[in-house]
Amino acid sequence: MSEQDATTADMGPDPLIDADQRPTALLQVRDVTKVYGTGHTAVTALQTATMSVEQGEFVALVGPSGSGKTTLISIIGGLLAPTTGSVHIGDIDVTALSRKELTRFRAERVGFVFQSANLVPFLTARENLLYVAGLIGSSKSGARARADQLLEELGLADRAKNLPEQLSGGERQRVAIGRALMNDPDLVLVDEPTAALDTALGRQVVQLLGREVKDRGKTGIMVTHDLRMVEYTDRVFQILDGHLTHVESSTGAGH
Amino acid sequence: MNTSMMLASAEIRRGRGRFASVVSALALIVFLVLVLGALADGLFFGATGAVRSTTANAYAFSSDAEGSLVRSRLDISDVAKFAQVPGVASAGPVGVLLTGGEGPEGELDLAVFGISMGAAGTPNTLVSGRIPEPGEVGVALADQQLDQFGVRIGTTVSVGGNSAEIVGIVSDTSYQLQPTIWTSIDTWRAMRDAVRPELSGEATQINAVALTTSADLGDIAAAVDGTNVLTAEATGLAIPGVEQQNATLNSIIYTTLAVSALVVALFFALLVLEKRELFASLKALGTPTSRLGWAVIIQAVVSSVLGVVIGSIVAQLFGLVIPASVPTLFRPETLITIGVFTVIAGFAGALFSLRRIARIDPATAIGGVL
Ligand SMILES: Nc1ncnc2c1ncn2[C@@H]1O[C@H](COP(=O)(O)OP(=O)(O)OP(=O)(O)O)[C@@H](O)[C@H]1O
Ligand SMILES: [Mg+2]
Repeated sequence: MSEQDATTADMGPDPLIDADQRPTALLQVRDVTKVYGTGHTAVTALQTATMSVEQGEFVALVGPSGSGKTTLISIIGGLLAPTTGSVHIGDIDVTALSRKELTRFRAERVGFVFQSANLVPFLTARENLLYVAGLIGSSKSGARARADQLLEELGLADRAKNLPEQLSGGERQRVAIGRALMNDPDLVLVDEPTAALDTALGRQVVQLLGREVKDRGKTGIMVTHDLRMVEYTDRVFQILDGHLTHVESSTGAGH
Repeated sequence: MNTSMMLASAEIRRGRGRFASVVSALALIVFLVLVLGALADGLFFGATGAVRSTTANAYAFSSDAEGSLVRSRLDISDVAKFAQVPGVASAGPVGVLLTGGEGPEGELDLAVFGISMGAAGTPNTLVSGRIPEPGEVGVALADQQLDQFGVRIGTTVSVGGNSAEIVGIVSDTSYQLQPTIWTSIDTWRAMRDAVRPELSGEATQINAVALTTSADLGDIAAAVDGTNVLTAEATGLAIPGVEQQNATLNSIIYTTLAVSALVVALFFALLVLEKRELFASLKALGTPTSRLGWAVIIQAVVSSVLGVVIGSIVAQLFGLVIPASVPTLFRPETLITIGVFTVIAGFAGALFSLRRIARIDPATAIGGVL
């Protein structure tokens, strides 16, 4: 089991061992297994994965293609139900929520940044942010002020009225980050944010993301292929063939 | 609802081109349906006015006539028999003659109705002038439509050398698309004898008896041998061609409306298909399926309403240039009915997309999982 691997290292608090002793951890994933399909076509994408992440932490999730990274963050974000195991965010048991409650949970508690920005193409940058505020019924004036502030922080103040097609790839990813932070979520989940960007721009976007997560006291999980991006995160988790392990504290900003 | 509106309106505003295509398709359909509807109404009203716009609510025919005024043959003495049937408030003779006549500006095609003025069967749509007195001879009512041929109060219309002075104008009294004049049975018979000399021996023959009654129509017919009685409405539908035209045009209209539902359904099904990824990501962000459904419904209803507005404006303009010889009638009732049906069809069309939207899995939004 991966627990043994992790305990051999003496590198500060171990998230796997300590998961149960740390009731304060914002995110607690316990023994999550995901099996796609049934019978002889069944694929075990995730095998008894356990992890916990503190508030204010920005962690990376790395692993080869098909190892189960997307599956894990989809389960954490309430997009996918695990086959067994549980996910707690704060005092919410995500795996116990109904479909309707999950929809509301995602709107209120989770900010997603997808691989391709996936902005609404016929809404401007600012409207893309206001849209998600509308989902939780925020006051209009409050939402406008917050959207403008976020766009300002993300260096997009003069791009607020542009449609996604009029933005560059990096600008779109930054709008997506703004959208993910708009409803003041507990958790920010990011899948391959740099896939569509060149290295310099990718760095810039990840750096910005890390800063926003830390400054705002969010919990962030970023899936990435690109090990160079790991330096902006606090800790690194690795998945190999469905087995999750905590690798090490990153050398970057976190510690 | 707020977010649905935001999605729906922004997409229409910023994607005008593609919505213009569905709106114009709907406008074209509405235009076609309205013109067909105007034709159907024009034919129906033009064919049946003479039995709709009178004081009678039923007509008695000879039983071999199958409800046809021109085929029916009764005798003037039958009028008194019907008048005695309990529940019959009034009975009046009806004579019909489809013929040519002479108006102030030349030849006219006419339907001449001989009636007993004031009794059942007298037109109740007087526009100006007066209804002739019972027994008054050499006078007539003329339908408003004859105005275009110079027929007005004080002018004379003659048939086979028998002339009648026009003393009143009535409206909506056409018969088989012919404009009518209404005169006494005696004047009518004189005109008939002049143009159909072979009938001149039949001095007591009339076509039908108009009735104002609340009694059971079967009982009335049973009281007078060799007759049957139809409501005024059924009499209109029995006029040759009316029921068939109605059925044909109505089925074209309903088919076309069904096509408009199909147009909307296909358009939005394609649009939803194209936006599967977007909808998946909106769901992942926490948008309930119902809000995405409402956005599509709002768009479908807005498109249909725009289609109705544009289509009906074009149809009204087209109505202005249709030659007068084509019987069309643009009625607000028909416009409202067709408009409401089109919007309902648009709404129904959008419903087809709802299942597809519901089936979109938010998990597909996030990279990798397919
Ligand atoms: N809907 C599904 N049905 C069946 N198998 C699936 C499904 N989604 C993912 N899998 C399988 O589960 C495993 C993990 O997939 P996942 O998408 O989580 O990998 P990943 O680590 O995100 O890969 P990548 O880096 O390529 O995005 C893979 O073997 C994949 O084929
Ligand atoms: Mg993936």
